[in-house]
Amino acid sequence: MNLERLPNEEKLGLCSKYYLGGFAFLPFLWLVNVVWFFQEAFVKPAFTEQLQIKTYVKRSALGLLLWVAILTTWITIFQHFRAEWGEVGDYLSFTIPL
Amino acid sequence: MNVSDSDDDLYNERTALVPAENPTVPSYRPDADFSPPEDTPTARVAARGRPRPGVAGGGGSDQEADAEEEELTLKYGAKHVIMLFVPVTLCMVVVVATIKSVSFYTEKTDQQLIYTPFTENTSSVGRRLLNSVLNTIIMISVIVVMTIFLVVLYKYRCYKFIHGWLILSSLMLLFWFSFMYLGEVFKTYNLAMDYPTVAMMIWNFGAVGMICIHWKGPLQLQQAYLILISALMALVFIKYLPEWSAWVILGAISVYDLVAVLSPKGPLRMLVETAQERNEPIFPALIYSSAMMWTVGMASPADPADAQRSETDEEAEQNGLRAEPHSRRQTAPPEDELEEDRGVKLGLGDFIFYSVLVGKAAATGGDWNTTLACFVAILIGLCLTLLLLAIFKKALPALPISITFGLVFYFSTDFLVQPFMDNLAAHQFYI
Repeated sequence: MNLERLPNEEKLGLCSKYYLGGFAFLPFLWLVNVVWFFQEAFVKPAFTEQLQIKTYVKRSALGLLLWVAILTTWITIFQHFRAEWGEVGDYLSFTIPL
Repeated sequence: MNVSDSDDDLYNERTALVPAENPTVPSYRPDADFSPPEDTPTARVAARGRPRPGVAGGGGSDQEADAEEEELTLKYGAKHVIMLFVPVTLCMVVVVATIKSVSFYTEKTDQQLIYTPFTENTSSVGRRLLNSVLNTIIMISVIVVMTIFLVVLYKYRCYKFIHGWLILSSLMLLFWFSFMYLGEVFKTYNLAMDYPTVAMMIWNFGAVGMICIHWKGPLQLQQAYLILISALMALVFIKYLPEWSAWVILGAISVYDLVAVLSPKGPLRMLVETAQERNEPIFPALIYSSAMMWTVGMASPADPADAQRSETDEEAEQNGLRAEPHSRRQTAPPEDELEEDRGVKLGLGDFIFYSVLVGKAAATGGDWNTTLACFVAILIGLCLTLLLLAIFKKALPALPISITFGLVFYFSTDFLVQPFMDNLAAHQFYI
């Protein structure tokens, strides 16, 4: 999919759909949104829809950072305390190291 | 593990190499007249040429234009070869890396796919050979039936059914197989992992994959996902196909590919022709497209794209198979031409079977010599196939040449070159 060939309204539509989709526990989608539309939002010379695309990209980046923080915290807690939690730890574990 | 039917279509489909579609484009010979050559056996000229108009403007510039176009044609061909080498190599690298590190995929298991019911744990060699041939016959007939079913559905425009089928099978690949894969990787590296994190990872991977493959997404991400699911499928085959059956199946499926794509009533050929007649792209979930847009000099005023770019590797996707506005400007200055090229498309089945061959060589072959030999053989075969594609300009089967070379190289390296090298090394004899 070539962003160059899309008219601006469609770019905005795509960006907003990716933004909304990310709310379904999909920070990866937000990451794709940020990377893909970064050039459109910040590098290109101004066009009408650019302001809205900018807001979407910024909000996606915020959401992404939030999720990264949550996941990092949880993973750290789990890895550190897994052994101590005993049964609960095992119940939560997908793989248990030998 | 009983693999369900829905993952069949990825490998029984489109093991063919298709040139980019531009039905209205004349041949790309430098001295072309612009009508489709009547001597080609096929009605359509699926050329991916660039219609360099007879450059109006100084007569002396004609020859230069021709020579330039000839040179451009050759460079163009090489670029496409490279553009296919990279994904095929990546797929094979993923498969070989997994085989070498995660032992799960090389462990002997008694579970077999329902398509290969005959076991190979028999006492005599003859019996084992017979069983593998029987397995192959069953597998190939399943593939033939599925392909014909798919072509019939496509001909009668049952698009919803086909889409549903493709979505189900890519769902299974993206979620279930990647879940298994992730589990095995964690077990191999002895990492602790909890369910919530795994659920998040698989959910993100799968959902974004579905969006990219079946809807709209960045081209590179879509290509990456297609490579990954081909690798996953190849790994499943490597694990669950018994030894000898796998090699016989590889041979048989190349023959089938040849027949299905080249013979007039072949299902794959009918699929490609119907798609071209209707001017529709073949389903993106079955094809890897290495699309590229090439802008020469100034773009035309109607083009919103940035002018003054000499060459851009843009993603030009999806609707790329349709006849693109091939702007052939008859203006005098040659810079006002906007030339586009849709790239070459390779079916995912080809990726899968190439990777199966190299993966099996890595799993069961002697050492890296065999693996590398098979890898090089497949790439050489792909090169030759692309050359033939440039000559014949119609959909070609991509499996036969590569798989033949691969099989020849595998068996000869494993049985001749390997012991030779070992002996030389043992006797410290350097050649």
